[in-house]
Amino acid sequence: MTCEEFEAMGLDAERDASLSAAERAAANEHAGSCSRCAALQDSWQAAGVELRAFAEDTAMAQAPARVEMRLRQEFRTRHVTLKVRRTAVVGAWALAAAAVLVGVVSWINWRKGSPNEMSNELKSAPSVTNSAGNTANSVPNPVAPMQGGGAVQQRGSAGAAASQTLVAENELSGFTFLPGAVVTDTDGTAILRVRLQRGALGALGLPVNEERANEWIQVDLLVGDDGLPQAVRLPQ
Amino acid sequence: MRIAEQERDDVLLRRAAKGDEEAFTLIYRRHQAAMYRFALRMTGNTWAAEEIVQDVFMTLMRDPKKYDATRGALGGFLYGVARNRVMKHLERLPREIPLEEKNEDGTGFGIVLQDALTPAIWAEKRERMQQVRAAVQELPVEFREAVVLCELEEMSYEEAAQMAGCPIGTIRSRLHRGRALLMAKLEIFRGVPRRASAAR
Repeated sequence: MTCEEFEAMGLDAERDASLSAAERAAANEHAGSCSRCAALQDSWQAAGVELRAFAEDTAMAQAPARVEMRLRQEFRTRHVTLKVRRTAVVGAWALAAAAVLVGVVSWINWRKGSPNEMSNELKSAPSVTNSAGNTANSVPNPVAPMQGGGAVQQRGSAGAAASQTLVAENELSGFTFLPGAVVTDTDGTAILRVRLQRGALGALGLPVNEERANEWIQVDLLVGDDGLPQAVRLPQ
Repeated sequence: MRIAEQERDDVLLRRAAKGDEEAFTLIYRRHQAAMYRFALRMTGNTWAAEEIVQDVFMTLMRDPKKYDATRGALGGFLYGVARNRVMKHLERLPREIPLEEKNEDGTGFGIVLQDALTPAIWAEKRERMQQVRAAVQELPVEFREAVVLCELEEMSYEEAAQMAGCPIGTIRSRLHRGRALLMAKLEIFRGVPRRASAAR
């Protein structure tokens, strides 16, 4: 071992675990034969003693208690803040999820409701047809189905109940009640369209222009359930 | 408490990450002294050492997942963080000469009166410690680190190399240069003529 090699790794050969036994033996041999390196080793050992003394003097040194206090305070603050933040995040997500749920449920209900309305309308349409049929049955007149058709159109634009009222109003509008006729209930009445001479209206108690008494006209007669005409209307 | 003390650092750290303050305190108490000594010996400044220790544990508190138990002990990880902080501190204040500082017990830097010394012996010892401390502090940072780790912290070369993040040969070389410089400085303080080869 040369002096340079000894300075590099022989000074602390006993402690250096990376050296092999042969290298340690060579370092010891060199220190025994070289007075300069032996003096260097002595000097290093003296310095090592002083370093150890210095290390021992600082061996008990530790961070002041205020560092622990500050860290614990920071720890508490940090974890409380984290908890609050986590709670806020969870709350926000829960609210968002609830809003989405409400939206989905509303949409499903709306989707379910729409076909019901449509089917209701569809269901109401045959009843109108029936009523129109009834009218047609009760009024053996080709005009009656047309009235029923017009009523269906009106019902298409308005509600079913309202349209039935409209139908009744439309069917009975324009009638002039005959003198002495008392109409209490229109349920059993029927509308008959007939062709007659104008002079026949006089027989029903209506004033007639004698000059045009022979003219043939069409009139609607509102016939009660007793078979007697109660009102008359000149169709447009 | 005894059972808690026997718990492994990584288990404690997991508990601390979940908000267990006692677990964090236990980790701190286990490792703070070593971190503080290392920082103090490297910087020679109690305030800086205090700040570094605080930074190290704040890092652990902020991001405990940085520590991977499979890569080594928590102590080694903390040493690494402390070393980075020390290097940053030394880069920031490359030539800081600390003033005389007092410990919390009123004594000077690193000197703790534990035995009954006569004032003259105590003063002589204190002066000698100041000289050693000054000699260590005047070493270049990389040599100082090798001396502090191997001579003062009494780590093996392998541990020191791992801590410094360099090959073992580099640590040996730095230690050799550091020792040479240290011996030369101590001899100057002692009044012995400087060895020609010491600072080579």
